[in-house]
Amino acid sequence: MSGEEEENAAELKIGEEFLKAKCLMNCEVALILEHKYEQLQQMSDDPMNQVSQVFEKSLQYVKRFSRYKNPDAVRQVREYQLAEFELCVLGNLCPETVEEAIAMVPSIKTKGRAHDDDAIERMLNDLSLIKKFE
Amino acid sequence: QTGRYQFHSLAARTLSLFIVQMKSFSRMFLKVQMPWNVIIPADSLDAKGLMLKKAIVIRLMDEFACKKATKDRGYFMAVTTLESIGEGRVRQNTGDVLFPVVFSGITFKMYRGEILQGVVHKILKHGVFLRCGPVQNIYLSHIKMPDYHYVPGENGIFMNDKHSKIDKDVIVRFIVIGTKWMEAEREFQALVSLEGDYLGPVS
Repeated sequence: MSGEEEENAAELKIGEEFLKAKCLMNCEVALILEHKYEQLQQMSDDPMNQVSQVFEKSLQYVKRFSRYKNPDAVRQVREYQLAEFELCVLGNLCPETVEEAIAMVPSIKTKGRAHDDDAIERMLNDLSLIKKFE
Repeated sequence: QTGRYQFHSLAARTLSLFIVQMKSFSRMFLKVQMPWNVIIPADSLDAKGLMLKKAIVIRLMDEFACKKATKDRGYFMAVTTLESIGEGRVRQNTGDVLFPVVFSGITFKMYRGEILQGVVHKILKHGVFLRCGPVQNIYLSHIKMPDYHYVPGENGIFMNDKHSKIDKDVIVRFIVIGTKWMEAEREFQALVSLEGDYLGPVS
C-alpha cells in the first residue's frame, strides 16, 4: 500500500500545495462534467469517443452523490470559512449532528480555528437549510 | 520559424502540444494545472489557427481517455479551461510542432484517512468489493467490518446484530486505509474500513 505519510486526510496533513489547490465537491464536479459533456457533443462529431470510461463512471458517481443540485446552493455552500478539503467532505456527506461532522472531518475541531460545537451546529443547520430551499 | 501559418505547408502529420506547469494535488476531485504532450493532426487546423483551441481540447480529452490516470495525479476527468497557448516550435527531427500550453483540469484520487461513499458490487465470504467514481476496485475486509458477519446463501450478504445489511448495490460510507497504484492496469486499488463512527451502510 502507498506510504504517502504526509498525505493523511484525517489530520489535514496533506501538504501546503494541497491546501492551495482547489478541491471540488461532488455537486460542483457534476455541474462541470455535465457541461463538458454537452460541449463535447457540440464540438465533436463523435462525442462518445471523447468520453472515456473514467469520465462516464465519474459523472454517474457525482450525479448520484450530489447533495446540492442547484448552482446557487452550491455557491452558498462554497462560501463557508473552512479549508477546501473540509468543505468538500461536509458538502458531500452532509452530516446531521455535530458529532457526526467531527467524526467525518476531525480537523474542524482540532485545528484550533475556534470552531466550537455551537458554531459547528449553526453551520450544519445552514447547510441543511440551503438544501431545503434549493 | 514558428508562425502558426506554417502548418499547412509542413509535411508534418502531427502537432505536439507541450504543456507546461503541473501543479496538482489530489483528494477526491481537484482542479489542477497540468503539463501534457498532445499530438494534433496538422490538417485539423485551418490557415488562421481558429480551430486550434478546439483541436487542443479534443486532443487532450483523447489523451485523458488513453492515459486514464497517473500515480501522482490520480484519474483524469476533464479539461475545464485552456489557460494559455504559447508560440509553436517546429521540432526538426519529426516535423511536429510543439506548443507550450497551460490548462486546468479535474482529477480524482483517494487518500488514506479520507471518508467516502461507494457502492457494493461483489460480496465474498471474507469481504466485499466496492466502486467509487472511477475507482472500480475497493476492498473492504470482514476484519474491517466490526459487528458484521457473513450470512451465506444463494446471494451472500453481511449483516450485523441490528439487521443492518451490506448487500449488492448498497451504498456504504467508509474510511480509506490505503491505496495502491497498479502500473500495468493504470488504475488504483484501495483498502477501506468501517472502523469509526458513522461509517457503514447509508440508507
